[in-house]
Amino acid sequence: MGNEPANELRVSLLVGLPLAAALVAVPTFVSDVFWLGLGITVLMWAALATAWNISGGLAGGLSLGHAAYFGVGAYTATLLFLRFGISPYFGLLAGAVLAGALGAAIGAITLRLRGPFFVLATLAFGIVVHIAAVNWRDLTRGAAGLLLPFGGGARNMLFAGVAPYWYLGLGLLALTLGVTLAIRRSPLGYYLVALREDEDAARALGVKVVRCKVAASAISAALTACAGAFYATYIQYIDPSSTTQFEISVQIALIAIVGGIGTTFGPALGALVVVPLGEILRASLGGGPALMLYGLMLIVIVLAAPNGVIGLLQRLLSMMRSGARRRATTRRSRGHA
Amino acid sequence: MQLALQILVNGLLLGGLYALLAVGLTLIFGVLRVVNFAHAEFMMLGMFGVYWVWHLTGLDPYLAVLVVTPLVLLFGIVCDRLIIQRTIGAPEVTVVFATLGLSIFLQNAALTLWTADIRSVTTAYSGMVLTPFGLRVSVPMLISFTVAMLAAAGLWLVLTRTLYGKAIQAVAQNREAAALMGIDVRRIYLWTFSVAVAAAGAMGGLIAPLFTVYPRVGISYIVTVFVIVVLGGLGSVPGAVLAALLIGLIEAAAGFLFGAAWAELSYFLIFLAVLIARPQGFFGRRGAEVFAGR
Repeated sequence: MGNEPANELRVSLLVGLPLAAALVAVPTFVSDVFWLGLGITVLMWAALATAWNISGGLAGGLSLGHAAYFGVGAYTATLLFLRFGISPYFGLLAGAVLAGALGAAIGAITLRLRGPFFVLATLAFGIVVHIAAVNWRDLTRGAAGLLLPFGGGARNMLFAGVAPYWYLGLGLLALTLGVTLAIRRSPLGYYLVALREDEDAARALGVKVVRCKVAASAISAALTACAGAFYATYIQYIDPSSTTQFEISVQIALIAIVGGIGTTFGPALGALVVVPLGEILRASLGGGPALMLYGLMLIVIVLAAPNGVIGLLQRLLSMMRSGARRRATTRRSRGHA
Repeated sequence: MQLALQILVNGLLLGGLYALLAVGLTLIFGVLRVVNFAHAEFMMLGMFGVYWVWHLTGLDPYLAVLVVTPLVLLFGIVCDRLIIQRTIGAPEVTVVFATLGLSIFLQNAALTLWTADIRSVTTAYSGMVLTPFGLRVSVPMLISFTVAMLAAAGLWLVLTRTLYGKAIQAVAQNREAAALMGIDVRRIYLWTFSVAVAAAGAMGGLIAPLFTVYPRVGISYIVTVFVIVVLGGLGSVPGAVLAALLIGLIEAAAGFLFGAAWAELSYFLIFLAVLIARPQGFFGRRGAEVFAGR
């Protein structure tokens, strides 16, 4: 099968290394701020969807509250810098630790919840964090948002140009994909798959349910917070509507689903499809109709292709393979005749 | 004392309105095992429907509700045929995100058709207030509350007293056994879904004279209603009504004591606490939270 972890590692090395080299070279060829900016946005959403996939896909808990972790990452890095002058490189780590702890707590308390109950609990958690971000004005300045000073320097992760953020984004995506690959090859990865397929059977076989679910939730949350800190330093302005809002949670999950949840590269592929498509639709049709199509796309994808783009590609590949095999056998049988 | 009574009245009136929305959502979950994220969008359609009928013909909004509700019912049938029926038995991700997609679609269809303008329905009795025992009770609020409660009670009677309602309950309890007893499960799904979203549309029509109408109005209701149906026990109609009144009270009391933000925060915290400590809610069947995903 195409999604065997060992096989995946081979494929990722074969395809990944030349691809990575090409990606690193992009800013030397693309200097247009619009296109490079679009690329950075794709990288960020790819990282977010990949991070979501660790709890949403590998562990099977469909979270609709990941904007909370994104917000925690963005606000922690920003506030540490604004209040104490701590460089966002460290702020990013602090945000990841904080979000990881939150993720572990949420993982622990939603442990027994299945199906829609889990979804609703994560949704409520996300909304609690959003309400806090809007109303805790002493800390977050509420809807007015927080502005990071322009030109804070490379030391503070605040670059004047766009290109450095391309590399940071690339590093972020590499980190999330690396962690995903590592998990899938580790015992944790196998335990998570077992839990997702049949929790009771896995428990009976001695899988440490609590530890696995909490770990997946914490790792996913910490990586999501890293993307939040990245977003804050890239845009250099954050407010609740761009970080903790419910729509952000939906978008993260949507991208992962369009790409193919539970696979390693699907969610990143989803960002490559959804983000530019969203930009094109918005530019040509305007916000309302673009989002109408968005909703329609979500319905069609989950009804017709619940395994996402990756699933479609795999089906296409196996069709081509079986087609080739059939051609080969007919040729051989003709030869015998 | 007077103040406490006033808060009690305000809370109950608000909760009664939530109830009609919550009853439909909990029915859809109990019978179809679908969490309908688009539920409040049907309410939004009801609000816009009444707004346009009133705006274009000058018909009284409460009479307009009678015109709009059957239209929402028809639209519910279309949605059930095109989307909901296809999610039955599908993987969980399909069930959750198909209705979420429908919600995004409907919100932005309204935005595209009718712009983001905030509209309101005004009548001769809009500002009218009754003052029994020194309490202030808004007349349109009282009318809407009464009609909503009657509608919820009517649904409950149909569910418990008619053969059709008993068939619905049978499907909710065990869909395979119900099918073996000769119940057409797909038909039950169709009618449960359409009647439930029609109730949401009716609720929207009823609150059109009270609150402003705009495409994203559903967002502020849907999460509250989720809190209500989980609190009452997903699938339980009386539970939903009681929890709706309770949430209305909490919102009014906490809103008065601590401000609107704290009111919202307080019931989400209650929601999380209930999910963690008693996920089947106060009236739900035990174990529902474990088997619901299956």
